[in-house]
Amino acid sequence: MPHINYQDKEIAFKIVYYGPGMSGKTTNLMYIHNVLDNDRKGDIVVLDTEEERTLFFDFFPLELGRIEGYTVRFNMYTVPGQVFYEASRRLILEGADGIVFVADSEKDRLQDNLESFGMLRNSLSDFGVEYKGFPLVLQYNKRDLPDLLPIGTLEGQLGLNGIPTFEAVATEGRGVMETIRMASRQVIQKFQL
Amino acid sequence: MNSENKDGNGDVKQLLSALIEKSGALTAMLITKEGISITEAGDTSYLNTTAMAALVAAMFSATREVARMVGEKHFSILLQQGENRHIHISLVHDSKMMVIVFEDYQRIGMVRLEARRTGEALNRALARHETPKNAGEIATPEFKEYALNLIDRIFETK
Repeated sequence: MPHINYQDKEIAFKIVYYGPGMSGKTTNLMYIHNVLDNDRKGDIVVLDTEEERTLFFDFFPLELGRIEGYTVRFNMYTVPGQVFYEASRRLILEGADGIVFVADSEKDRLQDNLESFGMLRNSLSDFGVEYKGFPLVLQYNKRDLPDLLPIGTLEGQLGLNGIPTFEAVATEGRGVMETIRMASRQVIQKFQL
Repeated sequence: MNSENKDGNGDVKQLLSALIEKSGALTAMLITKEGISITEAGDTSYLNTTAMAALVAAMFSATREVARMVGEKHFSILLQQGENRHIHISLVHDSKMMVIVFEDYQRIGMVRLEARRTGEALNRALARHETPKNAGEIATPEFKEYALNLIDRIFETK
């Protein structure tokens, strides 16, 4: 449920990029921030460690525009991927209206992807959210590397058949805008009061 | 001035403005636990309030987890002391936070007092306005169609 300020006529949705460590969540967000027109975006906030791993979250606000007199905004977040930051992830995930799951396509990261999705499912369940039917997009990132997971692997193992899936190379921007476009569309389509 | 007689966020803003006046603080903000700024008062020209709201909400959430670890439900007040500017954050209406930025640390007593009084008034004001009257204006098919068009335009593949 987005935050709605009826007095000032503002609606703010929250989209969260989730996935295992080093799968490319921040790279996705940075690319989007770079290509958007300046008048649509706020400054990006990056809270990372000395090794450039996300410590708490990355964040920037995107203004969609005015609709029916309301200013509509998407607040875009990433969560830290490393397993030991589970507490941070849950905090950022709370109140999310849509999720992009950024999977690492490398074959040897299969377990990491499954483990990360398991944590996502548990957190959503704790918040009273059933992930089936929730705005969720799956991105297979790093498709430029050798020895890749075949598309369909994660959906099959996670029981997610039918969810929107995109192949991406976030470092080059490939598939990044298609992914966020679908996630945003889902958020709006499933928006109800 | 009875600032609680008006509807909606108007009275919330008035309450924060009154707090600024009485405490001598620089800025006051009311934010949601999801990190959205609801209302601001005082000087915000030096501040990225959108990022500030996101960061403070995250900080408060982290502190809540720390509180749980030591057997507390939450810490209701956070105080950050700097060299020139200080921040007082207090929990309001269970799910919102009032952020006060002030400069003269000797006024901390006044800031605390006004934060407590304003917090109580905000609790009453927010409780009255939980069900909006004009909710039907949004989430309509027309609203969604226009939003989807905007999304397609903004996120077109470049």
